[in-house]
Amino acid sequence: MTTPLFEIDALQVAVEDKQIVNGLSLTLQPGEVHAIMGPNGSGKSTLANSLMGHPRYTINGGDIRLEGESVVELAPDERARLGLFLAFQYPTDIPGVSMINFLRRAMSARRGEEIPVREFRQVLNEVLGRLQMDEQFVRRYVNDGFSGGEKKRAEILQLGLLEPRVAVMDETDSGLDIDALRIVSEGINAFHSDHNAILLITHYQRILRYVQPDHVHVLIDGRIVESGDAGLAERLERDGYEPFMARTKEEVMAS
Amino acid sequence: MTTATLEAPSESEIKPDELRGQVEALSRSKGEPDWLVAFRLASLEQALGMNWWTGQEESWRRTPRERLPRRARVGRVAGGSNGTPVSVPSHVFAPDAHAGMVHQIDGRVAASDLADQARAQGVIIKPLSAAAREHPGLIQEWLGSVGPPSDRYDAFGRALWTQGVFVYAPPGAVIDESLFYLITQDVEQGDHWHYTLVVAERESQLSLIDGGDADDRRAELGEAPLIHASVELIAEAGANLQFASVQRWHRQTAAISTTRGRVGRDATIRVTTAAFGADLDKQRIDMDMSQNGGYADIRGLFVGDGKQHIEHVTRQHHKGVGATSDLLIRGVLTDESQAVQYGLIRIEPEGQKTSAHQTMRNLLLDDGAGADPIPMLEIEADDVKCSHAAAVGPVDPDQLFYLQARGIPPKTAERMVVRGFLAEIADGVPDEHMRDVIDQLVEIQLEPARSSS
Repeated sequence: MTTPLFEIDALQVAVEDKQIVNGLSLTLQPGEVHAIMGPNGSGKSTLANSLMGHPRYTINGGDIRLEGESVVELAPDERARLGLFLAFQYPTDIPGVSMINFLRRAMSARRGEEIPVREFRQVLNEVLGRLQMDEQFVRRYVNDGFSGGEKKRAEILQLGLLEPRVAVMDETDSGLDIDALRIVSEGINAFHSDHNAILLITHYQRILRYVQPDHVHVLIDGRIVESGDAGLAERLERDGYEPFMARTKEEVMAS
Repeated sequence: MTTATLEAPSESEIKPDELRGQVEALSRSKGEPDWLVAFRLASLEQALGMNWWTGQEESWRRTPRERLPRRARVGRVAGGSNGTPVSVPSHVFAPDAHAGMVHQIDGRVAASDLADQARAQGVIIKPLSAAAREHPGLIQEWLGSVGPPSDRYDAFGRALWTQGVFVYAPPGAVIDESLFYLITQDVEQGDHWHYTLVVAERESQLSLIDGGDADDRRAELGEAPLIHASVELIAEAGANLQFASVQRWHRQTAAISTTRGRVGRDATIRVTTAAFGADLDKQRIDMDMSQNGGYADIRGLFVGDGKQHIEHVTRQHHKGVGATSDLLIRGVLTDESQAVQYGLIRIEPEGQKTSAHQTMRNLLLDDGAGADPIPMLEIEADDVKCSHAAAVGPVDPDQLFYLQARGIPPKTAERMVVRGFLAEIADGVPDEHMRDVIDQLVEIQLEPARSSS
């Protein structure tokens, strides 16, 4: 059997001594799209940030493997250079740093060598066009004064430029109107190939109408309580998280 | 990076009679008219009658005063003081395109020029002594007119200056490109006293860039040099005056400056200062907003390393109706460097409809670094808008994480955030070349400190 592209293995994550993720396991094969759906407070953002190595989150059990190699001990920039990507729920603004400078440095870092200006321009214009973004956009400071939709598009722009192996999308659909949602989803689909995998973390089912998941997982209290195919997302849309939460409560009571 | 430790300078004996003689001789040697000799001597008497400080003044309390030379020496003036060009090292801030320039080293004029477009409009940029001979009416009208000296250094500065510049835009003159006043610090020379007088007549527009650099930054000096600058900025009604000062003095230097602006009716003065180098840098910036509808924008940026002390003492003084002033100071502190910002907004009872704001932000990159921003409000009018904000802290970890999550190594990420943080200040500098220079100096200043940690 070939090595999975990305494995989350019995992962435990704490934030300031509070245990948030409780033994979560998930395996992504090349070409797969997984969706993790969960209500507020289920640990979605904690999971996303800890996968990328945010210093505020402490991994106190389990493992994360990219192409069979553990990345738990690696710094965020090392994980990124290996091909892990996080699309932020709330992208941070960095006044004074232009998008274009930032993007070029990020691409050079990902490649391990300075990207030639001409090639950078070419790739940048191609991806900008795909996302229906104006060239002037990259003259602005990183996320500074961006609208909610612009921030999310900028994340997808980076996804397209950096071509990671595994993309973790943290509530990329939140705060988007229907047109922006469609454009962002098209950006994700354009990126997706047999060589990479996508982990969509979301509260709502709506983005899954545009980006078809192979697997859907329900996250409650930092654990996956149910996995299924795209039909599971539709069930959630219809019945909500309540049935799963009630079940979790019963299990906790029983144990 | 280490800073040479120096013995605390003690009060040098000041011999009034000797000084009087020296000041007069200096003025005569520069071929200055009698009234200017008299101006220098009157300033000297004022200085002699003052104390350096009591230590109780808000503007001196937080200064490490033991690191300041308390002395008033008349500097040596080498040949060429009458305006003859002499050869000097090329200047780090030398501009590509400019409307006019005066470059001085140690009182000697190294270069001086003025573009035809500016000359045709009657614009003047000249060494101050020469201007006093050639435009006595203007100099007599404006020299010292912004107000009395702010402290003893400033008073001595008016008496002892060996180099200075006069920049003038007549009514309605508009110069698109910047004028440059460049100074090269001859580190062997010791103390330097500068005087800068800038006048923008009504409805005129000018921008002056004041660049100071040392000729040998690596020299080990037996005595810490003192560099003092008195700067007077006058914008008459409707004028637009921009002044940017970028200084990179020798590391052992104590740099003290007083910049005073008087903002006329509906006029604008923008001051941007960038401080690099020097052991102690103390800048006083006062804006007189006594006319209606004026605008003043004060911006300061600095990068401290070693044991540097960098201090801004500012005053936005409102008396006019409907005037606006903004203060924005941003600094980055590494190693054991320290910063102080004492910023006062004072609004007199008649200063209604004033809008005055202060922001001071300090980024600390090392545990030993520190900053003490102190915004102060004294408001006696009741219909005003004021705000102040002060911050001291490390680089935002979320900003670093964001950059790192894109593969950018932590050191590079920190550098990017820091440069971005300072870019907003540098953006206020009217000359693109100078903005690039500032960015490079930020990089250079951060380099030794960050690569060793």
